[in-house]
Amino acid sequence: MTELTLTHFLILGAFLFTCGVLCIATKRNAIGILMGVELVLNAANVNFVALARFSPTFQLEGQIFALMVIVLAAGEAAVALAIILNFYNNHSTVDVDKAEDLKG
Amino acid sequence: MVSWFLATPGRIYVLATLLPLAAFVLLFLGGLVRTTTRRYRRDSKTASYFYYMFGGDRPIRAGAYLVTFAIGTAAVLALIGLVQFLRDANVPDHTAAMLDERWAERTIWAQIGPIDPDSPAVRPAVKLEIGYRIDHLTAVLFAMVTIISTGIFFFSIGYMRDEAGGSVTDHEVMAPGHHDHGAEHHQGVHGHLVRRGRYGRFFLYLALFCFSMLNLLIADNLFQIFISWELVGVCSFFLIGFYYERASASTAANKAFIVNRIGDAGFVIGLAIIWTYFGTFNFQEIQAKLRCTPNDSDGTASPVDMVDTMVRGNRVPESPNKVMLTPKGKDILLFPAHWHAGWLNKGEVMARVPVERDSDFTTIPYLLLIVAGLGIFLGCVGKSAQFPLHTWLPDAMEGPTPVSALIHAATMVAAGVYLVGRAYPLFTPEVLLVIAYTGAFTLLLAATIALVQTDIKRVLAYSTVSQLGYMMLALGVGGWTPGLLHLITHAFFKALLFLAAGAVIFGLHHQQDLRKMGGLRAKMPITAYTMLIGVLAIVGTPFFSGWYSKDQIIGQALGFGLANPAHFALAIAPILAAALTGFYMFRLWLLAFTGPPRDAHTYEHAHESPWIMTVPLIVLAVFSVGIGWGPEFWKPDGSLVGQTLHKAEPASVELTFAKATHAAHENHLLAGGLAFGAALLGAGLAVWIYGLRKFDPETLRSRLAPVHTFLLMKWYFDELYDALFVVPTVKLAYFLGRFDKRTALPEDAEAADRRIDPSSIDGLLSALGLLMLAIGIRLRAVQSGLLRRYILVLVLTTVVMFVILTLLGSESERRMRG
Repeated sequence: MTELTLTHFLILGAFLFTCGVLCIATKRNAIGILMGVELVLNAANVNFVALARFSPTFQLEGQIFALMVIVLAAGEAAVALAIILNFYNNHSTVDVDKAEDLKG
Repeated sequence: MVSWFLATPGRIYVLATLLPLAAFVLLFLGGLVRTTTRRYRRDSKTASYFYYMFGGDRPIRAGAYLVTFAIGTAAVLALIGLVQFLRDANVPDHTAAMLDERWAERTIWAQIGPIDPDSPAVRPAVKLEIGYRIDHLTAVLFAMVTIISTGIFFFSIGYMRDEAGGSVTDHEVMAPGHHDHGAEHHQGVHGHLVRRGRYGRFFLYLALFCFSMLNLLIADNLFQIFISWELVGVCSFFLIGFYYERASASTAANKAFIVNRIGDAGFVIGLAIIWTYFGTFNFQEIQAKLRCTPNDSDGTASPVDMVDTMVRGNRVPESPNKVMLTPKGKDILLFPAHWHAGWLNKGEVMARVPVERDSDFTTIPYLLLIVAGLGIFLGCVGKSAQFPLHTWLPDAMEGPTPVSALIHAATMVAAGVYLVGRAYPLFTPEVLLVIAYTGAFTLLLAATIALVQTDIKRVLAYSTVSQLGYMMLALGVGGWTPGLLHLITHAFFKALLFLAAGAVIFGLHHQQDLRKMGGLRAKMPITAYTMLIGVLAIVGTPFFSGWYSKDQIIGQALGFGLANPAHFALAIAPILAAALTGFYMFRLWLLAFTGPPRDAHTYEHAHESPWIMTVPLIVLAVFSVGIGWGPEFWKPDGSLVGQTLHKAEPASVELTFAKATHAAHENHLLAGGLAFGAALLGAGLAVWIYGLRKFDPETLRSRLAPVHTFLLMKWYFDELYDALFVVPTVKLAYFLGRFDKRTALPEDAEAADRRIDPSSIDGLLSALGLLMLAIGIRLRAVQSGLLRRYILVLVLTTVVMFVILTLLGSESERRMRG
């Protein structure tokens, strides 16, 4: 078995990203979409941390960025949940297919 | 601001002109506030406060009083101005230039390009000016218009009082949704229209009219006159169509405006020619350019035989800018600002078209000057209801009677005659002949139609057309002063006649048919006797105002006929018309006021008008008699007003018509006798038939039935114009519409609008529109509102972009590496 190199982590990040995007694109439940968003953000995090580990000039910055992303993810999740709650109050459902009021 | 008006004496006229405009603006704003607050009067306190302050549901009367006060003040100012001007002008030292300094002014209104006083460029920067110039004609006419207007405004306050109520029933219009149930129902309103009163609006339009008319009178350039010309036409439209729910009234208003417009087309052509060749619209400048002034620009006297004439010449073909001066040349020489008398003596001058220098002569083809003159005259034909554009004036009687009195008797129709008088130096002898013949023909045409009319206002309308023909005839044969004097006297007695007719109509509760009147002398004496004074004046009874002007006109026409025997018909026409006038005017008076009452119901309810209406009648009657008087009132040319007008006569009149005037002076007793005799004949015949009832008009009518019908149907002019112009235009419009839609029958047109049919013009344009609509509908589907689809598109786009960038990036990397 070879050593773990940067490429492995990048592939992991890409895979997680793709899973997240697929989750966003296919889930009907709004909360499920949020979970997909979390996956995408975590994929980015993995990228940051991996690059921090494997490139000497990026060590500190990478970890800081990862922390920031976690914080931002939390905040964004809060706001998104508030929006979904509001939507639920108006439509009694969290099915995004029912959110077509802005249809042209 | 007060000091501005007092700076020069002439500005009193500006003030007098602007007063009705100020009243108009105030009334308009008040009406505007009232209309806008009406919708909200129940919702808002402020809105209802303003609404009721400006009258509320009933029209407010204060507006009428304001306007009357404004025009009364203008009349006072006009009289003051007249006295001051006459005093100023009578001082022998005061030259025309000095008078102009005090009584004329102009300012540039709009210009293109800078005016460089130092540059030698002759063509001034294109500029439109606004200005006024007072001379004897303007001063007298201004006073006349304001005095008559004041009288008529007072009259209207009484006459229009029906409109001051909150709801007015119009007995000639059925309310929408009703149909006439016939005479069985005698109570209630029979389904007639009930509407709000329009008292204020009447005075609003009258105020605007007064302003435009006064502006026309003081204007010193053709463009300002044109603006006022159009404006009075617009006011006439509003006022004729005052009772706009009546189809007859609104059609009449349309007719008046459209026929007027046809004349205005000619006016514009004239304006265009003048602008092109003269470069200016100002009357003084045009006259200085067109006719040789007595002195050249240095003060030297011009050749005596050329003064005040149009100098004609022919272009020399070999040298392009040389003009040989010959009496019957094809071009007319136009004088520049700086020229020397010596240049004319050589018999040829250098003339460039267009000018390059301040001292360059230029020429205008004689034919084009004739066209310009005819164009301007066409405008006057339209405005003064001469043949062939006379058909609108009788229909204009649909308007309220004060409107007929003011606009269609005294002032607006006089504007055409005034313009002919003002632009007189512009007219070549050929144009003047056309003017004379038009006037003569109209004179007879209208007089014959007036013989058989049964509506009191129609008789007066045709009488107005006929008298305007008198004025045009006079101007055409060289009677400048008599023609314009007749304008003034006619204004007074025609206004009197119309107002008296209005008083009759008012007293008979809006009955206008002569066949239903009779014996009203006993019931409304003041109206009857003031109207008699008006009738005597129009007929030309000695020492009444009409005599002074009519006598002179007939004299001048006779002189012209004798001096030019080929045109002797012009001398016979006014005499014949005098007889006709005598007949139909006395017929009018006798039918209305004497004899047994022909309709008992009308006679019972007849009553005299209130004092506010009879006092103007009396005032106008006094003027009708006295306006023609002068210190030697027994002489036909002893009129003071006439002598004042004579001072404003252009010098070219005497020159062009020397022979005719001489013949007129020699034969003036003959002319006076003929005029008096003709009038006596006509009046006597009328008295014999209608007064003494010695001859039954019915027998004459039945024996000459075709003639009677021809005259009653106004010589079938309306039908002729309908067939010649109206029907073809409508048919052409329908044809073109159908051509557009490529349909065989008019009913298919609407269905064709809904199909896409690119084979017709209309269909092609519709197809383009519908195509855009279809594309839009398809594009709408993109915005589906489905969140997941948006995300999918977003992701796919990102992927595609990523791939493209990667490929491009690898391309450039490979190229960079080698």
